Amino acid sequence: MGKILRLVLDVLKPHNPSIIQLAGELSELTGVEAVNISIYEVDQRVENAKVTLEGTNLNYDEVLRTIGENGGAVHSIDEVVSGRMIIEDAATPQDALS
Amino acid sequence: MRSFRHEVERLREYEDVVDISEIARRLFAMNSFDGILTILGVLVGNYLAEVRVPQVIIVTGLATSVSMGVSGLWGAYLTESAERQKSLDDLGELTLTDLTNTRIGRASRAAVVIVALVDGMAPLLASVLVLMPFFLAGALGDITYSYYLALAIAMVGLFGLGMFLGRISRQSTLLAGLKMIVAGVVAVVLSYLIESAIPG
Repeated sequence: MGKILRLVLDVLKPHNPSIIQLAGELSELTGVEAVNISIYEVDQRVENAKVTLEGTNLNYDEVLRTIGENGGAVHSIDEVVSGRMIIEDAATPQDALS
Repeated sequence: MRSFRHEVERLREYEDVVDISEIARRLFAMNSFDGILTILGVLVGNYLAEVRVPQVIIVTGLATSVSMGVSGLWGAYLTESAERQKSLDDLGELTLTDLTNTRIGRASRAAVVIVALVDGMAPLLASVLVLMPFFLAGALGDITYSYYLALAIAMVGLFGLGMFLGRISRQSTLLAGLKMIVAGVVAVVLSYLIESAIPG
Protein backbone atom coordinates (compact mmCIF):
# COMPACT_ATOMS: atom_id res chain seq x y z
CA MET A 1 0.00 0.00 0.00
CA GLY A 2 1.24 3.49 -0.80
CA LYS A 3 2.50 5.74 1.91
CA ILE A 4 0.18 8.44 3.22
CA LEU A 5 1.87 11.83 2.82
CA ARG A 6 -0.92 14.17 3.88
CA LEU A 7 -4.05 13.85 5.96
CA VAL A 8 -6.67 16.51 6.61
CA LEU A 9 -9.11 15.61 9.38
CA ASP A 10 -12.16 17.27 10.82
CA VAL A 11 -11.93 16.76 14.58
CA LEU A 12 -14.31 17.60 17.41
CA LYS A 13 -12.45 17.93 20.69
CA PRO A 14 -12.84 19.30 24.22
CA HIS A 15 -11.06 22.62 24.92
CA ASN A 16 -8.56 20.75 27.06
CA PRO A 17 -6.04 19.26 26.29
CA SER A 18 -5.25 22.26 24.11
CA ILE A 19 -4.37 22.14 20.43
CA ILE A 20 -0.80 23.00 21.43
CA GLN A 21 -0.60 19.74 23.36
CA LEU A 22 -2.33 17.80 20.60
CA ALA A 23 -0.10 19.25 17.87
CA GLY A 24 2.98 18.46 19.94
CA GLU A 25 1.96 14.85 20.42
CA LEU A 26 0.97 14.35 16.79
CA SER A 27 4.27 15.81 15.60
CA GLU A 28 6.14 13.21 17.67
CA LEU A 29 4.53 10.27 15.86
CA THR A 30 6.78 8.35 13.49
CA GLY A 31 6.53 9.46 9.90
CA VAL A 32 5.10 12.87 10.76
CA GLU A 33 7.03 15.88 9.48
CA ALA A 34 4.62 18.71 10.21
CA VAL A 35 1.28 19.35 11.90
CA ASN A 36 -1.13 22.22 11.53
CA ILE A 37 -4.25 22.54 13.66
CA SER A 38 -6.68 25.37 13.29
CA ILE A 39 -9.91 25.96 15.17
CA TYR A 40 -12.83 27.02 13.04
CA GLU A 41 -15.70 26.76 15.54
CA VAL A 42 -15.86 27.09 19.31
CA ASP A 43 -18.73 25.92 21.49
CA GLN A 44 -19.08 26.10 25.25
CA ARG A 45 -17.16 22.91 26.02
CA VAL A 46 -15.93 21.63 22.66
CA GLU A 47 -14.28 23.00 19.54
CA ASN A 48 -14.01 21.93 15.91
CA ALA A 49 -10.49 21.64 14.60
CA LYS A 50 -9.03 21.12 11.17
CA VAL A 51 -5.99 18.91 11.63
CA THR A 52 -3.49 18.78 8.79
CA LEU A 53 -0.59 16.36 8.92
CA GLU A 54 2.20 15.93 6.44
CA GLY A 55 5.01 13.45 6.53
CA THR A 56 6.91 10.67 4.87
CA ASN A 57 4.67 7.86 6.06
CA LEU A 58 1.66 8.77 8.20
CA ASN A 59 0.13 6.01 10.30
CA TYR A 60 -3.59 6.74 10.43
CA ASP A 61 -4.25 4.34 13.33
CA GLU A 62 -1.63 6.07 15.47
CA VAL A 63 -3.02 9.48 14.55
CA LEU A 64 -6.52 8.30 15.47
CA ARG A 65 -5.28 6.87 18.78
CA THR A 66 -3.49 10.11 19.70
CA ILE A 67 -6.53 12.23 18.92
CA GLY A 68 -8.74 9.82 20.88
CA GLU A 69 -6.35 9.85 23.85
CA ASN A 70 -6.79 13.61 23.94
CA GLY A 71 -10.56 13.28 23.99
CA GLY A 72 -11.12 14.13 20.33
CA ALA A 73 -13.27 12.39 17.75
CA VAL A 74 -12.54 12.34 14.02
CA HIS A 75 -15.73 13.42 12.26
CA SER A 76 -14.42 13.07 8.75
CA ILE A 77 -11.31 12.56 6.68
CA ASP A 78 -11.42 15.60 4.43
CA GLU A 79 -8.32 14.99 2.36
CA VAL A 80 -5.73 12.28 1.84
CA VAL A 81 -2.61 12.42 -0.30
CA SER A 82 -0.83 9.17 -0.84
CA GLY A 83 2.03 8.01 -3.08
CA ARG A 84 5.55 9.28 -3.71
CA MET A 85 4.77 12.99 -3.95
CA ILE A 86 2.16 15.45 -2.78
CA ILE A 87 -0.32 16.65 -5.38
CA GLU A 88 -3.17 19.11 -4.94
CA ASP A 89 -6.63 18.28 -6.24
CA ALA A 90 -6.95 18.98 -9.95
CA ALA A 91 -8.97 21.94 -11.12
CA THR A 92 -12.23 21.11 -12.90
CA PRO A 93 -14.65 23.34 -14.82
CA GLN A 94 -17.22 22.80 -12.06
CA ASP A 95 -14.98 24.63 -9.57
CA ALA A 96 -15.84 27.89 -11.26
CA LEU A 97 -19.51 27.37 -10.37
CA SER A 98 -18.91 27.01 -6.64
CA MET B 1 13.39 9.78 42.29
CA ARG B 2 12.80 9.44 38.59
CA SER B 3 9.38 7.92 39.10
CA PHE B 4 8.52 10.70 41.57
CA ARG B 5 9.44 13.30 38.95
CA HIS B 6 7.40 11.33 36.45
CA GLU B 7 4.39 11.42 38.79
CA VAL B 8 4.75 15.17 39.33
CA GLU B 9 4.95 15.63 35.57
CA ARG B 10 1.82 13.55 35.14
CA LEU B 11 -0.04 15.52 37.80
CA ARG B 12 0.93 18.75 36.05
CA GLU B 13 -0.40 17.30 32.83
CA TYR B 14 -3.67 16.36 34.54
CA GLU B 15 -3.90 19.85 36.01
CA ASP B 16 -3.79 21.22 32.45
CA VAL B 17 -6.72 19.01 31.45
CA VAL B 18 -9.04 19.25 34.45
CA ASP B 19 -9.08 21.73 37.26
CA ILE B 20 -7.58 20.24 40.41
CA SER B 21 -5.62 22.88 42.29
CA GLU B 22 -8.34 25.50 42.50
CA ILE B 23 -10.92 23.24 44.10
CA ALA B 24 -8.27 21.55 46.27
CA ARG B 25 -7.11 24.97 47.50
CA ARG B 26 -10.68 26.00 48.27
CA LEU B 27 -11.39 22.80 50.17
CA PHE B 28 -8.08 23.00 52.00
CA ALA B 29 -8.89 26.46 53.33
CA MET B 30 -12.54 25.67 54.08
CA ASN B 31 -11.85 22.41 55.88
CA SER B 32 -8.80 23.60 57.80
CA PHE B 33 -11.04 26.40 59.02
CA ASP B 34 -13.70 23.84 59.96
CA GLY B 35 -11.10 21.69 61.70
CA ILE B 36 -9.69 24.54 63.79
CA LEU B 37 -13.09 25.90 64.80
CA THR B 38 -14.48 22.47 65.67
CA ILE B 39 -11.51 21.56 67.84
CA LEU B 40 -11.65 25.02 69.39
CA GLY B 41 -15.26 24.27 70.36
CA VAL B 42 -14.24 20.91 71.84
CA LEU B 43 -11.45 22.58 73.84
CA VAL B 44 -13.61 25.41 75.14
CA GLY B 45 -16.25 22.83 76.08
CA ASN B 46 -13.68 20.77 77.94
CA TYR B 47 -12.28 23.83 79.66
CA LEU B 48 -15.69 25.05 80.81
CA ALA B 49 -16.64 21.56 81.92
CA GLU B 50 -13.48 21.70 84.00
CA VAL B 51 -11.77 18.80 82.35
CA ARG B 52 -8.18 18.92 83.52
CA VAL B 53 -6.92 15.50 82.39
CA PRO B 54 -4.82 15.74 79.20
CA GLN B 55 -5.65 12.17 78.14
CA VAL B 56 -9.38 12.92 78.13
CA ILE B 57 -8.86 16.04 76.03
CA ILE B 58 -6.52 14.19 73.65
CA VAL B 59 -8.94 11.30 73.20
CA THR B 60 -12.02 13.48 72.64
CA GLY B 61 -10.00 15.83 70.42
CA LEU B 62 -8.44 13.09 68.33
CA ALA B 63 -11.74 11.25 67.96
CA THR B 64 -13.32 14.47 66.71
CA SER B 65 -10.38 15.14 64.36
CA VAL B 66 -10.44 11.63 62.92
CA SER B 67 -14.19 11.81 62.41
CA MET B 68 -13.77 15.10 60.58
CA GLY B 69 -11.03 13.55 58.45
CA VAL B 70 -13.14 10.52 57.56
CA SER B 71 -16.14 12.73 56.89
CA GLY B 72 -14.11 14.97 54.59
CA LEU B 73 -12.50 12.07 52.76
CA TRP B 74 -15.71 10.15 52.23
CA GLY B 75 -17.91 13.13 51.48
CA ALA B 76 -15.49 14.66 49.00
CA TYR B 77 -14.80 11.33 47.31
CA LEU B 78 -18.47 10.58 46.76
CA THR B 79 -19.51 14.06 45.68
CA GLU B 80 -16.44 14.72 43.54
CA SER B 81 -16.61 11.37 41.77
CA ALA B 82 -20.33 11.86 41.06
CA GLU B 83 -19.80 15.42 39.76
CA ARG B 84 -16.72 14.59 37.70
CA GLN B 85 -18.33 11.47 36.22
CA LYS B 86 -21.34 13.51 35.17
CA SER B 87 -19.12 16.17 33.64
CA LEU B 88 -17.12 13.50 31.79
CA ASP B 89 -20.29 11.81 30.52
CA ASP B 90 -21.69 15.15 29.35
CA LEU B 91 -18.47 15.89 27.49
CA GLY B 92 -18.48 12.37 26.02
CA GLU B 93 -22.01 12.94 24.76
CA LEU B 94 -20.89 16.10 23.01
CA THR B 95 -17.94 14.44 21.28
CA LEU B 96 -19.84 11.15 20.82
CA THR B 97 -16.97 9.20 22.38
CA ASP B 98 -16.32 7.29 25.56
CA LEU B 99 -13.77 9.38 27.44
CA THR B 100 -13.20 6.90 30.29
CA ASN B 101 -9.80 5.69 29.11
CA THR B 102 -8.56 8.97 27.68
CA ARG B 103 -6.29 11.50 29.36
CA ILE B 104 -9.36 13.46 30.49
CA GLY B 105 -10.85 10.35 32.10
CA ARG B 106 -7.64 9.53 33.96
CA ALA B 107 -7.19 13.17 35.00
CA SER B 108 -10.76 13.24 36.36
CA ARG B 109 -10.16 10.11 38.44
CA ALA B 110 -6.86 11.49 39.76
CA ALA B 111 -8.61 14.75 40.64
CA VAL B 112 -11.21 12.88 42.70
CA VAL B 113 -8.52 11.14 44.76
CA ILE B 114 -6.44 14.31 45.29
CA VAL B 115 -9.43 16.43 46.25
CA ALA B 116 -10.73 13.73 48.63
CA LEU B 117 -7.31 13.46 50.30
CA VAL B 118 -7.04 17.22 50.73
CA ASP B 119 -10.59 17.37 52.03
CA GLY B 120 -9.89 14.64 54.57
CA MET B 121 -6.38 15.59 55.62
CA ALA B 122 -6.90 19.35 56.01
CA PRO B 123 -9.27 19.26 59.02
CA LEU B 124 -7.40 16.33 60.55
CA LEU B 125 -4.00 18.03 60.43
CA ALA B 126 -5.34 21.43 61.45
CA SER B 127 -7.09 20.05 64.52
CA VAL B 128 -4.17 17.81 65.54
CA LEU B 129 -1.95 20.90 65.37
CA VAL B 130 -4.24 22.71 67.80
CA LEU B 131 -4.22 19.68 70.11
CA MET B 132 -0.41 19.58 70.24
CA PRO B 133 -0.04 21.42 73.59
CA PHE B 134 -1.98 18.63 75.33
CA PHE B 135 0.57 16.07 74.13
CA LEU B 136 3.15 18.28 75.84
CA ALA B 137 1.02 18.82 78.95
CA GLY B 138 3.61 17.05 81.14
CA ALA B 139 6.38 19.39 80.02
CA LEU B 140 4.21 22.50 80.23
CA GLY B 141 3.21 21.79 83.84
CA ASP B 142 -0.18 23.32 84.58
CA ILE B 143 -2.80 22.16 82.03
CA THR B 144 -4.18 25.71 81.86
CA TYR B 145 -1.02 26.57 79.88
CA SER B 146 -1.92 23.84 77.39
CA TYR B 147 -5.38 25.37 76.99
CA TYR B 148 -3.93 28.84 76.45
CA LEU B 149 -1.27 27.59 74.08
CA ALA B 150 -3.87 25.61 72.09
CA LEU B 151 -6.03 28.73 71.88
CA ALA B 152 -3.03 30.71 70.66
CA ILE B 153 -2.17 28.05 68.04
CA ALA B 154 -5.80 28.03 66.87
CA MET B 155 -5.80 31.82 66.47
CA VAL B 156 -2.44 31.82 64.69
CA GLY B 157 -3.74 29.00 62.47
CA LEU B 158 -6.88 30.98 61.65
CA PHE B 159 -4.82 34.08 60.96
CA GLY B 160 -2.49 32.10 58.70
CA LEU B 161 -5.46 30.67 56.81
CA GLY B 162 -6.89 34.15 56.38
CA MET B 163 -3.54 35.38 55.07
CA PHE B 164 -3.45 32.46 52.65
CA LEU B 165 -6.89 33.38 51.32
CA GLY B 166 -5.98 37.05 51.25
CA ARG B 167 -2.94 36.29 49.15
CA ILE B 168 -4.99 34.25 46.70
CA SER B 169 -7.58 37.00 46.31
CA ARG B 170 -4.79 39.64 46.22
CA GLN B 171 -6.44 41.56 49.05
CA SER B 172 -4.98 42.72 52.31
CA THR B 173 -3.51 39.64 54.00
CA LEU B 174 -3.70 41.34 57.41
CA LEU B 175 -7.39 42.14 57.04
CA ALA B 176 -8.18 38.65 55.74
CA GLY B 177 -6.29 37.14 58.68
CA LEU B 178 -8.16 39.29 61.17
CA LYS B 179 -11.52 38.32 59.64
CA MET B 180 -10.66 34.68 60.33
CA ILE B 181 -9.68 35.43 63.91
CA VAL B 182 -13.06 37.11 64.43
CA ALA B 183 -14.69 33.78 63.55
CA GLY B 184 -12.57 32.05 66.20
CA VAL B 185 -13.47 34.67 68.80
CA VAL B 186 -17.18 34.35 67.94
CA ALA B 187 -16.98 30.57 68.39
CA VAL B 188 -15.31 30.93 71.80
CA VAL B 189 -17.76 33.62 72.98
CA LEU B 190 -20.77 31.56 71.88
CA SER B 191 -19.42 28.54 73.75
CA TYR B 192 -19.13 30.66 76.89
CA LEU B 193 -22.67 31.94 76.44
CA ILE B 194 -23.97 28.39 76.06
CA GLU B 195 -22.15 27.38 79.24
CA SER B 196 -23.66 30.28 81.21
CA ALA B 197 -27.13 29.62 79.76
CA ILE B 198 -27.18 26.03 80.93
CA PRO B 199 -27.94 25.84 84.62
CA GLY B 200 -25.67 23.50 86.49
